This record gives sequence, C-alpha cells and structure tokens, in this order.
Amino acid sequence: MDVLTDPFSAGIMQRALLEILILGAVGGALGCWIVLAELSYGAESLAHGMFPGLVIAALAGIPLLLGGAIGIVVAALAVALAGRIPGIGRDNAVAVVVTTLFGLGVLLALSPDVPPGIQGLLFGDILGTSKRDLIAGAALAAALLVALRLMHWRLLAVGFDRTSARSLGASPLLADAVLLVLMAGAVLVAVQGLGNLLVVAVLVAPAAAARLLCRRLLPMMAAAVAIAVVAGIAGLYLSYYAKVAAGASVAGLMVAAYLLARLGALAANVTART
Amino acid sequence: MFEAFDYPFMQRALVELLLLSLAAGTLGTWIVVRGLAFYSHGVAAAAFPGLVLADGLGFSATLGAFGVALLFALTVGQLAARTSSGHDALTALVLVAALAIGVVLASDVFESGANVETLLFGSLLAIGPDDVRLAALVAVLALLATAVLGQRWLAVGFDPAAARALGIRSPLADLVLLVLIALAAVATLSAVGTLLATALLVVPAATTRLLTKRLLPWQAATVVLAAVEGTAGLWLSFETNAPPGATIAVISGGLFALVALGRAAAGALAHARARKVAVA
Amino acid sequence: MSEQPKRPAPGAEPAPPAPPAPERRATLVAAEHLAVGYSAAPVLQEVEFQLRAGERIGVLGPNGGGKTTLFRALLGELKPLAGELRVAVRAGTVPQTERSRLDFPVSALDVALMGAIAGRPWWQRPGRRERAAAHAALRRVGLDGLHDRSFGELSGGQRQRVLVARALVQDARVVLLDEPFTGLDNVSTARLEQLLDELAQEGRGVLIATHDVEQARAWDRVLCLNRRQIAFGPPAQTLSLEVLASTYGGSIVTLEERDGERLAILPPHHHHHDH
Repeated sequence: MDVLTDPFSAGIMQRALLEILILGAVGGALGCWIVLAELSYGAESLAHGMFPGLVIAALAGIPLLLGGAIGIVVAALAVALAGRIPGIGRDNAVAVVVTTLFGLGVLLALSPDVPPGIQGLLFGDILGTSKRDLIAGAALAAALLVALRLMHWRLLAVGFDRTSARSLGASPLLADAVLLVLMAGAVLVAVQGLGNLLVVAVLVAPAAAARLLCRRLLPMMAAAVAIAVVAGIAGLYLSYYAKVAAGASVAGLMVAAYLLARLGALAANVTART
Repeated sequence: MFEAFDYPFMQRALVELLLLSLAAGTLGTWIVVRGLAFYSHGVAAAAFPGLVLADGLGFSATLGAFGVALLFALTVGQLAARTSSGHDALTALVLVAALAIGVVLASDVFESGANVETLLFGSLLAIGPDDVRLAALVAVLALLATAVLGQRWLAVGFDPAAARALGIRSPLADLVLLVLIALAAVATLSAVGTLLATALLVVPAATTRLLTKRLLPWQAATVVLAAVEGTAGLWLSFETNAPPGATIAVISGGLFALVALGRAAAGALAHARARKVAVA
Repeated sequence: MSEQPKRPAPGAEPAPPAPPAPERRATLVAAEHLAVGYSAAPVLQEVEFQLRAGERIGVLGPNGGGKTTLFRALLGELKPLAGELRVAVRAGTVPQTERSRLDFPVSALDVALMGAIAGRPWWQRPGRRERAAAHAALRRVGLDGLHDRSFGELSGGQRQRVLVARALVQDARVVLLDEPFTGLDNVSTARLEQLLDELAQEGRGVLIATHDVEQARAWDRVLCLNRRQIAFGPPAQTLSLEVLASTYGGSIVTLEERDGERLAILPPHHHHHDH
C-alpha cells in the first residue's frame, strides 16, 4: 500500500473514481460545445433550475436521476417560455425563472419537517455514489457521447457560421435543440457527484482550459476530458488526505486547471514574443 | 395576522427590506436594461467565501463580502460590460470557484456547519443594525448615482454602438454601476443570502418591465413592488421558518408569472375583440 | 428538388470548347415578380431575372438595397411574399467571412468538409471519399498546402477561397458570393476573379454581390437593386448613368476619366451589413 493506491482501497472511493471518469468524459466533451456556443449561463441555469426536482425526489424517496430529469425539463420549458416574453431580454428572463425555481427548492428543502441534508443536494455527494447511480450514469453518459458523435458535423457547421449552415444541410434550430438536450443530460449525469451548485465546474472549466491549449475541436475534446479526469482524481486525493469536502475540491481543482492553462498560455505568448 | 411584526427583530428586518427595495428597485431597472443579470448573480455568489472568511476569522462580514465582490466587479464585471461575448464562461468559472472555496472554508477549515445555509439563503435573525445602516447607505448612493449617471447608463443600454459613436460611453460610468450593484448585492446578503440576491435585484424590475416601458414610472413601480414582495416574504418566512431569500424568491417569481400570464391573456382578448370589430 | 436537364459534360477540362449559345443553356434560377421581406412589408420587390448555367451575374446596390435579402431568398431562408422564385439546383453560399467565427477551432479542411454534410445520411460522418473531395477542392482553389491551417489564421482572400472550396464539395451548381472582394488586395482580388471565371466555365451559375461597379462590367450580366429591381441585363447596355443614379440614389460620386475613358462610380463605402 502506498500513497497513490491507498485511498482507493475502499469501495466508496472506487465508486467515486468511476463516477469521476463518467462525469469527466461527458463534462469534458460536451463542455467544449458549451464553451464554444457560449452556453455557460444556460448550463448554470439548468443546474439551478432543476433544484426543486432534486429536493422532491429526495423527500419522496424516488431516484435523484428521475427527479432531476423532471426538474430539468420543467426548468427548460419555463426558460423557453419566459424567453419568448417580449421586452425583457433572454438573460433577465432566465434569471427570473432560475431565481424562482431555486427559491422554491430551498423553501421545500428547508421547511422544518424536512430532515437535514440539503447540502448533499447543493454540493453533491460524490463519496455517496451507489452502484445503481453508477450504472444509470454510465448508460446516460454513453448515450450522450454517441449522440455527440453523430451530430458532430452538423453542430460544427452551425457553430462555425449560423447563417450559411442551413444551405449546407445543417438546421440551426435542430442543432440548438440537440445541444440543449445534451446539456440537460450532462447536467443530470454530473449533478449526482458535484451537486446543483458545483456541476457547472465540470461543464465549463476543463473545456475552457482545453480551448486555450488546442486549435482543433477533436484534440480540444480529448484534452478537456483528460483535464476533467485528472483534476477530478486529484480532487479525490485532496479530499482523502486533507479531509476536505470531495465535491468542492474536485470542482475547485477543475477551475484551478483552467487558471493553470491560462497562465501557461500567457507564458507561451510572452516567450513567443521575445 | 401581522403580530409577526411586533417582534423587534422583525421590525428591523422590515426596515432593512424597505431600504433594500429602494436600492434594489432603482438598480434593478439598470440591471435589466444593461443585461447584467448573470453578473448580479455572480457578484453575490462571489461574496460567499468572503462571508465565510469573515465569519471564521471574526472580522466584519460586510467588509469580507464587499472585498471579494469588489474584486469580482473589477475583473469579470469589467469584461461583462465591455464585450458582448466570451465573458459568460469566465463568470460561471469564478462563480463556481467562489462556491467551492466557500464550502471548503465553511465545512473543513472553520467548521461553520449549519451557518452555511444562513449565508447561502439569508436569515431573519442574521440582520443586524450594521446591515440596516449599509442598506440605507446603498439606497442613498443608488438614488444619487441614478440622478447623475442615469442618462449615460440608459444611452449605453439602448444602443451601445450608437452611444460609443456619440462619445457617451465612459468606462467610469460603467464601473460605478458595477460597483454599485456589487454593493447592493452585499447589502442584500444578510436578508436573502448569496444565492438568491437576484430575487430582489432582478425579478421585481423584470416584472414591472412587463407593465411599463417609461423609465421613471418603471423605477417607481419597481421600488414599490420590491417593498411589497419583500414584506410578504418576511412574513411568510416568519410563519414557515424557511429562509427569507427563498420566500421572497418564490413570491416575486410567482407574481412575475401572474403578470406575464395576465398580459398574454389581455393581449389575446384585445386581439379577439379587434377581430370581432373587423368582422362586424 | 427536381434537376433540370444538364448541359452535357460541364467541363472538367480547363477551356471547354465553344459553349452553347446563352439562350440554349439550362436556366438555374428564375425570378418572376418576386417580392421578399421579413414581415408583411417587402424589403425587395419587382425582381425579375434569370441565371443560366455558365453565367456570372454581378448584383449591385447600396447597403440595405436588398442584396443580402435576395441571397437569403435564394437559399430558401425566406419565402417569397409574392411572385415566384425557382431555384432548379442546389445553391451554395460564400458568406462574408467576418460573420463566421474566426476563433472557431477548425482547419481549412474542416470547413471544406462541411460541404459534405447534406450529401450524407445524418448518422454517417464524412468518410474517405468526402475527404478526397475536400482535398481536391482545396487544390482546385489553390490552397493545396494550407489544408491544415486554422481558418482564422488564413488571409481574407484565402478564407474566401476556402468557402468557395466548400461550395465545390457541396457540388453547388449555383454559387452565391456576398461581397467577396471586400478588404482583399489586388493579387487576391485577381485570383478570386479568375476562380469565379473558372466556376462559370464549368457550367455553374455565379451570383456576386459587390460594391465595385467597374468590376461588374467584366461579368455577363448585372442586376441592380435598390429596394426593387432597377435594371437587369448585360453591363455594357445596362450600366447607364440613370440606372446607377437610381440604384445608388443621390449618394454617388462620379469620377470621369479614371482608368482611361470609362466612367467610374464610387458608391458610398460604409460597411454596415444589411440584415
């Protein structure tokens, strides 16, 4: 037994490791599209907006994945509806919907008859991943990655130039819808481990870091997945040895990876100029 | 029914909320005009680790929160106001980093435990005399700045390109707005918490936006609406024991939905009536 | 989409022997009493013209005169408000490159390969054949060695040619170019003009929106638009001073005797995009 293998001798940590692999693969790959399409606010909103669904699932004892899925559909519909109201702008509409839904979730979760545990939903409970969570998460992740691969060229054409994509046979509306559904799926996969508030870390940070390092989409996706997985595993070590909250240290290190990439890009720029 | 407001801490909370409505109402209209909703959410959430740090080390919470929020305003906010794209990933990253740091500090360094929920969603009992003073200060500043800089903010929000061409866009005016929003977000923290500051800063202004497009009536209506929603939220929070941030968010969001539905129904009715007239 | 009978062998050879007389060539695009717009009020009306295989048509007009609107109608993005617009074959577009995302992580080859999307079932990715076609198209536009370069790092003229290559991969028989010469230096301009001539010689129809009246004189026909159609026909007969004046309104500057005896017209050069 040594420093590296020691943490993963327990079943809890082995399952957490698998969970990191799953959410790293989905978050890294899909995150590239979220970053390129500037959907970070959307990802954040879906994660917050699904909160009542998670709370109700926790209260009623149904699987979190199911409650989260229902919550996310409601949130997406509400955002889409509010976005159609003329005169207030999309961002403001999103803020209204998310604030309301999030407040509703907190109201449900913190009313006096509810057992404590809201923090698990807010910040995730990566060490509490069960075998059933893992199987469901892996299946959803596989479906998302297959869909991403199938839609790759259409998403690329729309992202590159929306106005001429249609003449190439790639419908911008379809691409938007697909991206939204995939993003919702990715939030669902990752919310088990990182919770409502931190899920956006895996969806944005690794991809934003990879964007600084790569000049092509496929290498960027590969780099984002690698960064997510490495930062995630490092987060597990940090949480094991420093005894800090696992979800927060995973999320924190993913953002740290972005900062590192940013510094690296800056340094490369400076050396290139001199 | 209103015996809730017989308690001194509830009276203080009420005064705080009314002052906050004045600040958030005027600033909220600027937030909506300038599309700074995500920024407002980010700046409030960024204050979270500052609050935890202040709580743990025992210095003024306002100072800790405002320090971090100011940092956020000067970095991310500047980007958000200047460019139209690319800042949203940055905002999201800073936001999530602030939350992660706050959680680690709260649960593992200072072991603040249950306090975290107070910081995140606000609490009736957390409102102190200092908070009331801060809210009064922010309200005065917000009104003053609106009187002095309102025209500039409006011109830039209406058409950034034209405003730049006219030489109106000044970075200083934008910076003042960003710092004021940060200050207002910090002032709302004790009442509504770091995660639901938008319940006061954005939702009332978006609701009244549906009813009027003219600036002065809009701002006045927003202040009144924020005060009403805040008061109702306080009362509900007292009755249910839920954090005031959550009750205010649900009440103001519900009202927004009602107004939006009402407007849609009125529009459909007017349309139907016009058609009937056309047929007859 | 029904293909009209093609002209036999739309020459892969460099100089096709004596193309058939213009009136016998296939009509690729035909507009009759066309009106298009974004709401009930048309932005452009009374449009009536034909594009035949092997023709280059210069589309002239001021900003906001309806050039972009016409192109959007040709691409099927806008339905005619009135009249008829027949586009017999697939149209490909070469948009202004400052509209595409120059920071997007794609290579020149990736962009050319986007032309292969429509030809494949949705579940299939571009395969070896499409890659070969994309390489051939890039060679064809003279960007042989640059296929691995990032799109955003190419010069303005090179970007235009990559987008032409994309239209070639798409096998577009009608190619629409939206102010392709804006910002190009003389060498790039000459090169792109040469490429457009070759596209026409292959039997494609080429529509070029441009600000440069002088340049349009070299093409087969011109279409002058200013919220409605002002004129359509061969440049020599069509580009009279009256036509140019009503095309560009009062805002033209005339310079006589520039480049010899020709009348040069400089329309105002603000680079706002119409829509």
